Amino acid sequence: MSALYLYSRWVRAWHWLNALLFIVLMYTGASMHFAGGGWLMPFDRAVTVHNTAGILLTVGWIGFVIGNVTTDNGRHYRVQWSGFFTRLFAQAQYYGYGIFHNAPHPFHVTAEMKLNTLQQLSYLGVMYGLMPLLIMSGWAFLFSVSLPETLFGLPSVWLIAMAHLTLAYALVLFLLVHMYIITTGETVTTNLRAMLTGWHREDAPHSSSHQEAQ
Amino acid sequence: MHNRLTKRASGWLAGAVLLSALLGTSSTSTAAIHGQLGTDNSDCLRCHRMETLAYRDPQSGELVDLHVNGEQFGHSAHAEVPCIDCHQGDFGQYPHPAAALAQRLDCVGCHEDQPDAHERAYRFQTIEQEFARSIHATSDSPKVKGFNCHHCHDPHTFRNSAIGQPIAEIVRSDNQLCLSCHSKIREPYSTAHLWLPKRDKHWQAVRCLECHTPLTDLGQPVSHQLLAGKDSNFDCVNCHSQEQRLLQRLYQYRSATDLENSGWLSKAILNQSYVVGMSRSPLLDALGLGVMGLTLCVLIAHGWGRYRAYRRFRQHQLEQ
Amino acid sequence: MNPIATMLDPKYTRRLFIGIGVLIALALAYRFLYPIIFDAYVGKTNAPLTYDTSKRLTDVEFEALAQSLSEDARRLKAEAVVAVDQNPFAREVKIEMLMNTESFIRDSEPRHIKYFREAGIRQYEGPKTCLTCHATLEVDHPDGTRSTVNTLDDLVNSVHFKFQTMAGGFSTYGYDGRQVNAGPHKIPVGKIDRACGIPGSFTWTGWAALISSHPEHGSNGEVVLRSEGCGQCHIGGNYQPATEKMMPVGDVPDMAKEGIDCLICHAAHYDMNQRVVIRDEYGLRWNQDRSLRAALTVAPISSETCLRCHQHNMGGDAYAHNDAAQALGYQHQRLLHRGAKRGNPFSPADDAHAAAGIQCTDCHRPEGHKIPRGRLGVDLVANDLPDKTVSCETCHGRAPHNASENKALLNGHIARLACETCHIPRLEDNNVVLRDWVHPTWDAEEGIWEPTDVYRSGEPGKGFTYLWFNGNGTFLANALGNNPNGSDTYDPLMQQIARIDDSEVIAAVRAKATELKQQYPAIDIERYVQMATDPLSQLSPELLEQRRAMIQANLRTAMNDGKSRIYPFKLFNAMMYEDMSNQGPFGAMILPFDYNIYYETGDTAASVKRAIQDPIVQRMYQEPFKRYMMDEFMAYFGVSGGWKTIYPLVNDQLVNVEPHWMRQMGTLMVNHGIQRQGHDCAACHAPNGIMDFKLLGYTAERIAELQDPALLRKPSVTTLTTAAPESVAP
Repeated sequence: MSALYLYSRWVRAWHWLNALLFIVLMYTGASMHFAGGGWLMPFDRAVTVHNTAGILLTVGWIGFVIGNVTTDNGRHYRVQWSGFFTRLFAQAQYYGYGIFHNAPHPFHVTAEMKLNTLQQLSYLGVMYGLMPLLIMSGWAFLFSVSLPETLFGLPSVWLIAMAHLTLAYALVLFLLVHMYIITTGETVTTNLRAMLTGWHREDAPHSSSHQEAQ
Repeated sequence: MHNRLTKRASGWLAGAVLLSALLGTSSTSTAAIHGQLGTDNSDCLRCHRMETLAYRDPQSGELVDLHVNGEQFGHSAHAEVPCIDCHQGDFGQYPHPAAALAQRLDCVGCHEDQPDAHERAYRFQTIEQEFARSIHATSDSPKVKGFNCHHCHDPHTFRNSAIGQPIAEIVRSDNQLCLSCHSKIREPYSTAHLWLPKRDKHWQAVRCLECHTPLTDLGQPVSHQLLAGKDSNFDCVNCHSQEQRLLQRLYQYRSATDLENSGWLSKAILNQSYVVGMSRSPLLDALGLGVMGLTLCVLIAHGWGRYRAYRRFRQHQLEQ
Repeated sequence: MNPIATMLDPKYTRRLFIGIGVLIALALAYRFLYPIIFDAYVGKTNAPLTYDTSKRLTDVEFEALAQSLSEDARRLKAEAVVAVDQNPFAREVKIEMLMNTESFIRDSEPRHIKYFREAGIRQYEGPKTCLTCHATLEVDHPDGTRSTVNTLDDLVNSVHFKFQTMAGGFSTYGYDGRQVNAGPHKIPVGKIDRACGIPGSFTWTGWAALISSHPEHGSNGEVVLRSEGCGQCHIGGNYQPATEKMMPVGDVPDMAKEGIDCLICHAAHYDMNQRVVIRDEYGLRWNQDRSLRAALTVAPISSETCLRCHQHNMGGDAYAHNDAAQALGYQHQRLLHRGAKRGNPFSPADDAHAAAGIQCTDCHRPEGHKIPRGRLGVDLVANDLPDKTVSCETCHGRAPHNASENKALLNGHIARLACETCHIPRLEDNNVVLRDWVHPTWDAEEGIWEPTDVYRSGEPGKGFTYLWFNGNGTFLANALGNNPNGSDTYDPLMQQIARIDDSEVIAAVRAKATELKQQYPAIDIERYVQMATDPLSQLSPELLEQRRAMIQANLRTAMNDGKSRIYPFKLFNAMMYEDMSNQGPFGAMILPFDYNIYYETGDTAASVKRAIQDPIVQRMYQEPFKRYMMDEFMAYFGVSGGWKTIYPLVNDQLVNVEPHWMRQMGTLMVNHGIQRQGHDCAACHAPNGIMDFKLLGYTAERIAELQDPALLRKPSVTTLTTAAPESVAP
């Protein structure tokens, strides 16, 4: 079996905290957005919880960025441009075709590269694109009192609200896809277990290398 | 209207008397020179337009403001009404006789007498009934003793909020009515409304009566039954949701301007989105939920495909 | 390289030490060399100050003094107790007995007697003695907060000490349209560098002078020394004003601070006879009452203490109830200024508030030593608290008239008229309007040459006028404002305050000119009258045109600013020597006089020559002073192209210096001398009333309405509207 220690303790702690906050934010966000439904949290409590979770999410995100700068986890987010499109195409082809024909994974996790090109691209977009925007729009809400009346000729609170909402939908979408994609590892639970234990083990029953090792 | 007609009539009268050469000259100053203090609105305003025309009531010590802002009056709901229609009495004399000053003015009577009273947005009979249940009428507090229409509505300046008027202006002028008495609320260390998140923003953005009056039937304007604090709306969701309490009330004044200024697209997007929580844009919601549903379908299909492949693989392995 | 390692490198260590050494040297130079250099540069003296009035008393003398100080109070109190008795002698005995009881003495003594007795203070040595207990001061602010300040710093940085400020907050606008000191380049402005309300001198050249007068009566032709100078009204006791405070760095030397006269404001009994010029080995300065007697009577500030100086510019020196003017000195008696600066006295005889026992500080409520003048300021006198309101409304509210049948109508006027407009019906008769400094008159009584007051009057329309005022003023004290109708015909700088049309006034000026011609044959009477009553005739057509354009372009905004009301303004113009190299459409730089030559010889040109040789005036005509403040000063003055440093004295001859009247009259606010009974309605609401409604920017229709005599007639019961012709729109 091959075992790689891919996810250091802080990465895992951050990931699961982030996941928890995401769920809380989604639920409370929906509670405010669709206020009044039976399974939703009461509006005023949802406001407090959402605000608190949002602030914690911000702290977590800053921690994540600092972590990436100060540890070598950051290299996973640096795009290797040589052969980029080839790899991207291979990965897309795998998800769209190969996976249905039991083709081998075009990408193998190593300590240097734990994310495949498609993953890398989407995480980059989410963590450095959508998340900061979402966080900023959230904070803009918190300080909406000091916002200018209009922004680009539109009412600024409305603009912020729409941005926040759109981003929120986009991130919920990401979460859906993310939760599905992690099941496409060597086995359905390989990636999940890796994120729980830190160790990426390729010990799936059909892995030929594994059998050979035994 | 009545006023203007009278003026014109008097002009003709003068013309008949005077030589035609004098017709073109302004007769503005002659009125004054002959000392004929009339009871035309402009005669009254000659003194009453003084901004500081006021005295302190010897009994109460309170300031009695006698100023009528001519310009505001000209824009008010009563702009066309001659002063003496309401102030009936010998006001042609100065100092005004005590008998004339002692009159009480009644809004409901006059308004219900209007020929189109039943077609108007506000029925004064309804107002009277609502007011009778209002905290301003039912409270035992000595402060509201003798509370009447004039405490809130200065007949010389009052006008209904109109569609197309900027919301911020409506909110400011409306709340000013309340705050002129409830002045303690806005004091720097006031604890009023502290429970309300973003209290100051609320004060800026909505009218007091949004929460302090009961909801009326759809299409009916705001009730005059002011509620005591404890009976007022504490439920955020009443505004911050699709239950469009605000749309029905404050924002009814908005839509027409939006439509005029911004076209239907802006209206579709903007109209329901002034308030947090009301940031529900049906378009975005539909789009967002739709894409999500679609994605879910794709993922399920993908998963099913994978399962089928796995089954094939196992089959293949077994066969081997 | 690691920054810490870099620092430890010997090469850098040496540099570091050199750097620190330079800094220490600079600090030492600033502390010790800078004051010496500065004093040398401006040509001023500082020296340790001593006062003969400060004497040490023995304990016995102290107690005797204490007894005598409380005697009046004790007697009054005892007399009240022993109100009646069978016979006067018995009553007197009882009073004497009561007066000397322990508790009577204790309760009647001025408070500081006890403090001084217990602290063993037997000599008053100036601020030092006060600061023993009052080193810090609790200051109450209007927002309810309280702060503790250093008393000496608080005072030294107040306008009463430095009489200028470099801060913003001026409601004054330069003729270039800029608000004074609102921009980044702030210059010191206030009385220190500005001719006095009735110009004649600068504080720098006229701080203290001993004049040799030659009175013709009763002194057998002996020379009598008289005291004169700005220092008499300013609390610094040194040889010159606090010039150091005009710089952004540096401070007044400690020895100058020791000259501060705390008691002139804080003592209930202060001997104004001590306030005269004395000469010591360093020069001339003002003496003060530093007796223990004065110090023991320290009590809360009262109108009486303020008026020791301020009655001078309100009622004037010649005002009958000016107490300070009754105590001119045991020697070197102070010269009285005869024409009144404002002529609106604050005293029980002539002011309703003073008569009601209201104290100055009831309205001008101090914060520590900072005292507010009020937000409205037409002149350029510095204000410690420019944002603090001093107004009638604070006490009287919005509806002050309560007694009259017409109270509502009277109150109605407040929107357009300031209270002062009705309630200061006239000023003192000796209120100066036109003063000729260039052609002085011999005063045989005093034995000195005095400036000639060409016209004095306290009458409305003559001695003072009515102008729209929104609180803004120009750099030369012209009230700004506009008729609320937004009129563009209201233009006082071209009309009301730039010319005198009243034929009575013109006749009086002509009479005076004729009188002066006997002394000064060169005077052309017609030209003299024209210059005095139509000062714009002194401007070239180009300058006149420039003036018109500048008023429109630069001042209209400040005139239309805020809310204007009609206020009364004392009018004033003066003929002075001007430096014509620095002339603009609103005037030229006026030159100071040397007091001795002026008063003693009447040779005004020689007096100017002497005064402008004062080192600080010479510095004014040099580059650093130009850069530091004069360029900016002239820009506000309406003179384009900056300050010309062409020194107007060459080979002892004045060059390009001409006598001129200022190009418009100054307008000074009058707020005191309030009468219960104001003007009556007919004073204004009649043809030829005291207000020129046309010049105030009213339309012809409105004027007819305002002047309509029927306005004041009780109308008969009127017929209805059909009889009333078309009336005026509101």
